[in-house]
Amino acid sequence: MSIVAKETIEVIAQSIGINNLSADAALSLAPDVEYRMREIMQEAIKCMRHSRRTTMTTDDVDCALNLRNVEPVYGFASGGPLQFKRAVGHRDLFYIDDKDVDLKDVIEAPLPKAPLDTAVVCHWLAIEGVQPAIPENASVGVIAASSDGKTNEQKDELPVDIKLPVKHVLSRELQLYFDKITELTVRKSDSALFKEALVSLATDSGLHPLVPYFTYFIADEVSRGLNDYSLLFALMRVVWSLLQNPHIHIETYLHQLMPSVVTCLVSKKLGNRIADNHWELRDFTANLVASICKRFGHVYNTLQTRLTKTLLSALLDPKRALTQHYGAIQGLAALGPNVVRLLILPNLEPYLQLLEPELLLEKQKNEVKRHEAWRVYGALLLAAGQCIYDRLKIFPPLPSPPGHAVWKSREKIVTAVPNKRKASMEPLEHDPASKKIATDGPIGMASAKSSPSSVQEETAAPHPSSDLDVDQPSTSEKMPNDERSVNRGGKDSKVLKKSAILNQIWKDDLNSGRTLVSLFELFGEGILYFIPAPEMSLFL
Amino acid sequence: MDNMQAVNSFVAAYLKKKGFKEAEQLLEDLQSKDSAPIDFHNDPELAKFIHHFSQSEDDVVRYQDGYSKLRSWTYSSLDLYKHELLRVLYPVFIHSFMDLVAKGHLQEARTFFNAFREDHELMHSRDLQKLEGVLTQSHLEEMEFARSLRQNKVNIKICQYSYDLLLQYLHKTQSTAMLGVINEHINFQVSPGQPTSISDDAEVVTLIGSCQDAANQINQKEIHWGLLEDSLEERLEKAGGLLSDSEKTEGENKEGDVDETKKRSVEGGKQGASTKKLKKDKAASATAKSARPEANTTSTAPRVKPELPLPVMPTEVEQSILEDLRNRVQLSSVALPSVSFYTFLNTHNGLNCSSISHDGSLVAGGFSDSSLKIWDMAKLGQQAGSSILQGENDSTSSKHVVGPNGVKRSYTLLQGHSGPVYSANFSPLGDFILSSSADTTIRLWSTELNANLVCYKGHNYPVWDVQFSPVGHYFASASHDRTARIWSMDKIQPMRIMAGHLSDVDCVQWHANCNYIATGSSDKTVRLWDVQSGECVRIFIGHRSMILSLAMSPDGRYMASGDEDGTIMMWDLSSGRCVTPLMGHSSCVWTLAFSCEGSLLASGSADCTVKLWDVTTSTKVPKNEEKSGNPNRLRSLKTLPTKLTPVYSLRFSRRNLLFAAGALSKNQ
Repeated sequence: MSIVAKETIEVIAQSIGINNLSADAALSLAPDVEYRMREIMQEAIKCMRHSRRTTMTTDDVDCALNLRNVEPVYGFASGGPLQFKRAVGHRDLFYIDDKDVDLKDVIEAPLPKAPLDTAVVCHWLAIEGVQPAIPENASVGVIAASSDGKTNEQKDELPVDIKLPVKHVLSRELQLYFDKITELTVRKSDSALFKEALVSLATDSGLHPLVPYFTYFIADEVSRGLNDYSLLFALMRVVWSLLQNPHIHIETYLHQLMPSVVTCLVSKKLGNRIADNHWELRDFTANLVASICKRFGHVYNTLQTRLTKTLLSALLDPKRALTQHYGAIQGLAALGPNVVRLLILPNLEPYLQLLEPELLLEKQKNEVKRHEAWRVYGALLLAAGQCIYDRLKIFPPLPSPPGHAVWKSREKIVTAVPNKRKASMEPLEHDPASKKIATDGPIGMASAKSSPSSVQEETAAPHPSSDLDVDQPSTSEKMPNDERSVNRGGKDSKVLKKSAILNQIWKDDLNSGRTLVSLFELFGEGILYFIPAPEMSLFL
Repeated sequence: MDNMQAVNSFVAAYLKKKGFKEAEQLLEDLQSKDSAPIDFHNDPELAKFIHHFSQSEDDVVRYQDGYSKLRSWTYSSLDLYKHELLRVLYPVFIHSFMDLVAKGHLQEARTFFNAFREDHELMHSRDLQKLEGVLTQSHLEEMEFARSLRQNKVNIKICQYSYDLLLQYLHKTQSTAMLGVINEHINFQVSPGQPTSISDDAEVVTLIGSCQDAANQINQKEIHWGLLEDSLEERLEKAGGLLSDSEKTEGENKEGDVDETKKRSVEGGKQGASTKKLKKDKAASATAKSARPEANTTSTAPRVKPELPLPVMPTEVEQSILEDLRNRVQLSSVALPSVSFYTFLNTHNGLNCSSISHDGSLVAGGFSDSSLKIWDMAKLGQQAGSSILQGENDSTSSKHVVGPNGVKRSYTLLQGHSGPVYSANFSPLGDFILSSSADTTIRLWSTELNANLVCYKGHNYPVWDVQFSPVGHYFASASHDRTARIWSMDKIQPMRIMAGHLSDVDCVQWHANCNYIATGSSDKTVRLWDVQSGECVRIFIGHRSMILSLAMSPDGRYMASGDEDGTIMMWDLSSGRCVTPLMGHSSCVWTLAFSCEGSLLASGSADCTVKLWDVTTSTKVPKNEEKSGNPNRLRSLKTLPTKLTPVYSLRFSRRNLLFAAGALSKNQ
């Protein structure tokens, strides 16, 4: 019946030295204790409200006790709110962590700083109903959120007020700021000042009024300056900084911003000089796009679908330039392994067939083109690798993958492939055809002999670290590697072998195993073509 | 066994006397079967109970004592459960009365009835009138009403804890008479969980219940909600009406001057004789009425005479007010006010209240360390507030330039209270400030001398709120002792004590015409009191939690009240009904303010927002349309979020600039 149990009363009685409290007394005391507690809480809540607070403090309870002419409980007026800790093993039991304090420490400690004195500052919360974007006011997000609510409130209203068009007045300071930033972006994007500007864009509050101007500026400059690599990069950095700024509510401008960003990702030509590393720009933009999707995907649920549709159509159109394909792949890959699995992998085989002639030295004489093709190939490999890595990560017997560190060759072909594939691929990467079978042999044999799980482990072992089987051949083959001979015949047999082994390994998981097998077939081919890439980059 | 039989025979006799045929039959059956004999010997309670019934001579005392004890216990019970327990009182009362009558104590029944009838007069006056006529036992049988009462049990919904409390009480005090009445006539429907809200229950049978009869009963009293005759606004209208717009600015000054001189001469003649003054004012207003153009909306409102002798306003102040009125910004749903926000920094959770003077030049804060601090924004103006105060301080800044204290503080520290300061309030002219504290006192301070002038003692418990009347000089206070009091600045004793709330009076507000005050209480009701007579003239029921803030519309017709849950209610004073609740805040509404022409309501809350509500649409609609009932008429116009700053107080200046104040809270 009562919240306070009879036992509680007995315990309290014992704690104050009454050992022979009768059960009846405890039983009749319990409801009274509850009543008194309710009474004190009722008064304490009143005191809390009149102190304009919404959290109760010990002062309120003391005040309530005062009102009832009870001596207050001393020793809890610590000022700040008490920190309650949950007792282990109990759901509703809390206690105050009361640490022992050494008196010596207290005495020897330096005096605390005097608390700052109360002050009053004044600002405009609103000017004729419009809240100025000044640091003293709540950030724009809060304002926008509440105004959203307000529009809902107004929807069902009968008397419709026709709102006059609001003149968007920019303060002089903001105008200057905007001019300075745009000038820096266009002219001196490599200066240290620009870096400062980016930091300012990413952190300053009160920039929200400038966002429409910035979006317009970015769209304008991107459409005009497709040939200017450094400008484009600077613009993308501005977008990145704006996205970082917690005080800016950028999603309302995303529809204006996205075309420019996607342009920088999948445009045919970015920059006009051969030295312009437009790949880097594309990579950067891909990450940008991915972060936008991640942040605003839930607000605009069509955002990601529209984006992937655009990118996929760019990828699957054989008439598009390889640079565009590269951008599309990077963009899709940045959206995560699931997107890759669903959108790239099904199209991987036909695409690779399409790509194949571009990759071959004998068929594609234009070195630039061939380089591009290899770039695309590398991106594909990376995307598929990350995807498969993500798939394999979920298998329990795998040890924590040590080999997932991103491998970068000199011109940034990233080969962050899953360990298994890496292990099997690594020897291939450096294979002269003659030695390849020999090197593959031991691995295949070993893996075939051991149980599936151990094979997995073995294959998953990091290549450069300690796996002798793999490591030795690869290091020994570094030299012949340079010969760069392409042998199709040997490859095929090896691929078969590989896939057979892998099939065996993952036959328990047919579903992902099938994906893997098909991937491996493709990668088997790909890996061989992959070899010349570092050398080709050396040419450039 | 002898004893047993004696008991049985007594019970049988009792049942016969009471006319409980069925029960009698049952008892006989029981006796004949002789099964399951009840062990009366080992149950002293029961024995005592029976013993009590056998001795009828002290019936009267038991009923009277029992009832009065039950009554006082109920009134002092927990707020949360009080209204449920109060429901029990009425049935107990009437049945005790009828029991007494039935037992033949006619005279005593009468005294009993008269002693406690006042409690229920409000709610059940008709029933009581009927019962008054019951003079003998035979009446009880004859009268249909009484018979139906006797035969039917009253259903009372009550929550588990209230029920437990009641049983505990009855058990502890062994008031068997009451226990008997309750058992016999009340059927409790005990529901688990929280008690029901007062406003939920249509059949509440209490003093403060929402029974339509009762609400009407008390709310039928006449109220003169019109504005005061001969107010400054009125005079301004008159002046404006006589002149065309082009020559207004020029002419107004002249007109004002003429007006002033006239007034001064009039006043000069009647210093000290307030009654005479009233007459003259009336005469003046009568002439004003004839001159007033019909088209003016505000002037169509009825005017009333002040019931209090009002203080005389210095002419230069009057001038500045008139000036402000002329420069007032017209606010509406499309023309929102500018809001200037005063943020208290480094309050260390100690700020309890704040107040802003009418022109925003002074800001006061009351702290839990018993101090009262006043900031002169004109002095701070060099850094922050210069532009803000430009428009406002032309008349008053010179007055508030006080010499520097010699201390580095940016504020004036007023010390004197010995407990947390719960409320502070500037006088309408800004020359005084009142503060109320947990030390049960109210102190009057001069903002010019920076010194304490008077300490008003009268309340017995912490004083939660204090408010100057719109004309100054008088003020009202609200306290934990469940009373509101009216004071005059020149007397240290209260002029009126308003008692009637069932719990703490948490906030108080003056009506625009100074003839009424409104009080909001922890008993979840708002009451309107006549200042002159001290009577309660309206009860407003509808809030579901403690009332924290009140505001009166400038035209005197409406009142807004805000509660702990964030609900704001607009009340029509004349009908006593709620016009519409305004939902939107998610936490305590600390403060409310009407704009000067009454078109907007601003509310400040613990959820760190200032909300602006459109109240013109509802207040200006014709009566018939209002009755057709569009509850969504009042709407939220704008939400202005602050930066982690709960809004403690709001105030519209005479020129309709909105001032807000609050303490920055870092730990949210």
